[in-house]
Amino acid sequence: MKKTLTKVLAFTLVFSLITTSIFASGTTEQSGETTVNMFQLKVEIKDALDAYAAQYSAATDGVTVKVETLGGGGDYGGAMKAKLQSDQMPDIFVIEGQGGYDIWKDYIADLSDEPWVDDTDLAFMADGKVVGFPVAIEGYGLAYNAEILDKAGIDPATLTTRAAYEKAFKILDEKKEELGIDAPVAMAASVAGGMWWVAAQHNLAVYWGGGLDFNDTSIIEKALNGELDQERFMQYTKYLQLLFKYADQAILLNGSYDDQVGSFAQGKTAFLHQGNWVDPNLAQLGVDFEIGYAPHAFLDTEETGLFLFAPSWYVVNSQSPNIEAAKDFLTSIAMTEEGHKYMVNEAGMIPAFKSVTLKPSGQLSQALMDANAKGGNYGVFFGMLPDGAGQNIFGPIFDLFAQDPDNVDQFIQDMNNAVASFK
Amino acid sequence: MKQNRFINGLFLVPTLFAFLMIIIIPFFFGLYYSMTDWNGISRDINFVGLANFKNLFSSPDFLYSFLITIAFTFINVIFVNVVSFVLSLVVTSKIPRRNFYRAGFFVPYLIGGIVLGYIWQFIFNNILVELGSSLSIEFLQTSFLSQANTVIWTMAVVNTWQYAGYIMLIYVASIQSIPTSLMEAANVDGAKYSTRVFRILIPMMANAFTISLFLTLTTSFKQFDMNLTLTNGGPATRFLGAPVKASELLAMNIFNTAAANRMAEAQAKAVVLFVVLLIVSLIQVTVNKKKEVEM
Repeated sequence: MKKTLTKVLAFTLVFSLITTSIFASGTTEQSGETTVNMFQLKVEIKDALDAYAAQYSAATDGVTVKVETLGGGGDYGGAMKAKLQSDQMPDIFVIEGQGGYDIWKDYIADLSDEPWVDDTDLAFMADGKVVGFPVAIEGYGLAYNAEILDKAGIDPATLTTRAAYEKAFKILDEKKEELGIDAPVAMAASVAGGMWWVAAQHNLAVYWGGGLDFNDTSIIEKALNGELDQERFMQYTKYLQLLFKYADQAILLNGSYDDQVGSFAQGKTAFLHQGNWVDPNLAQLGVDFEIGYAPHAFLDTEETGLFLFAPSWYVVNSQSPNIEAAKDFLTSIAMTEEGHKYMVNEAGMIPAFKSVTLKPSGQLSQALMDANAKGGNYGVFFGMLPDGAGQNIFGPIFDLFAQDPDNVDQFIQDMNNAVASFK
Repeated sequence: MKQNRFINGLFLVPTLFAFLMIIIIPFFFGLYYSMTDWNGISRDINFVGLANFKNLFSSPDFLYSFLITIAFTFINVIFVNVVSFVLSLVVTSKIPRRNFYRAGFFVPYLIGGIVLGYIWQFIFNNILVELGSSLSIEFLQTSFLSQANTVIWTMAVVNTWQYAGYIMLIYVASIQSIPTSLMEAANVDGAKYSTRVFRILIPMMANAFTISLFLTLTTSFKQFDMNLTLTNGGPATRFLGAPVKASELLAMNIFNTAAANRMAEAQAKAVVLFVVLLIVSLIQVTVNKKKEVEM
């Protein structure tokens, strides 16, 4: 008798142990509140966005917006998959282009009827529908230190062809000691420093879109069919070779983001190959000299535009019960005064919406905004490439070319082989 | 009191349940996914048989990662075990403050691989290069991390710095379990120090070698965190005519494949890693076991 009792007791004990551990995680608080969960990856706007979400939640009855931010350089795609598997899909999440859309399209809601759609040119379109809310405009050219160029007697307005760049780099290189610089260009290409994206993503985008109409994707479509435009690619290779040869070699081959931006901020290089996202870094480093953007002019003919793009889009989870609340939150960012203030003043972004009248404080952001108003800019299309192509395929090729920039034939052959594999 | 097998068994249930749910079942799921074309998200999963495995052995980046992982393991196992064995001899001898040294050598093991990778990256890329240029020492002026032929050795050195203290503790414990009478008798018989180490100490420590070699072998094969932060796979080099990343070990190659949404292919690589690791470590343990002596 006693024995059976012990058995039963032990069994219930073990069973309750197991069940509590299973079901404990399943319970959720029940209340009238709608909670919109947002999951995003721009660390630099985390504080501003958290503050805006809190402000919005306070002003809106029954809605709480919770923002989760993935730490710098984290694996966002991996984190999203984990959320999907654990049934914690956010209501608003981020895609970075066609690749992301293709993967997540079962979870992406149609936003065509939202009021902000007519106010922007950079919404993400797929199958004739608007599905993505442009987070910001980002862009780049070749940033220059106006003081150094002035001392060297170079007028940045003349930098519109490859030949002009070659001449300018040569002058800077000869006057290195007089100007107190280490090298003309701060460029990065190393796989080791995690900087493959500067060369193999952003610089290569110059070949995909430079000198063409803003929406002309013919060159990258050709590449996706396995072919390079040999004549155009030759001109691009010469331009890349110039940048590599006149770059600070330590930064080029092994430098980190901080090394690259730091060198420009300290006036040790005259040009910086980075986008307007370095504005806050430059401000932090106490930069007080005048900065502007020169075009990435790789062709023999003249080019004057900068590269503009929306780096990412917010999308709404179509399988969430909170679709409407999520849409309202996005609309408030695009269409209200507070939303504009958050984007421009707090987060320091360039909004993709035309009705915004505030001006960003960073010099490079202002240069981009002016270029956007002027027109004649180029599109950035690397998002159309297969997932991982930049990091795993082009990254090592550009790294090798940076190690030996005289080996032009090898680089062109590697690139032809790489592109042929896309077919 | 008589043991009750049923109740004893019941107490195993929670652990068995967890083991089943997070090890056994995912393992078989993994085997299944390695034979599909799953991208990690899509609900439409097609069975493709062994196609993923067939493609692996014709892709230069995987083959290179495979070879470099074997090379790294070989170098690393030797470095770690030689260094930790020497350290264990030092801290079991009669030097003053030996407990302090024991703790000191163990501390690097407590630093996470990520942090450690960044610290050593700074040392190799900045401090050594700076030293090289201010003292005009030529071979220090280019970072060891940017040369394809030294990067594996550099990684092994960093890993040794981290891991040797841990293996040292295993050796120390083993040395302390050897009866002192044995060593004293040898001493009285006039055996030199080296003779005592090679003829008595090492044979008596055979079981510690089994464990230490097994641990270093498996951790080297699965090395990831230090690899990611120290070198990120760079620099690039050329293998079979194709550009590849010179220090991308297998685990990182699997990670990068998975991050590019080629989940099934990554899973196939992981299965290959598992099978190879299983075979290699079984051989190692069998060989080592034969050398162990019973007291």
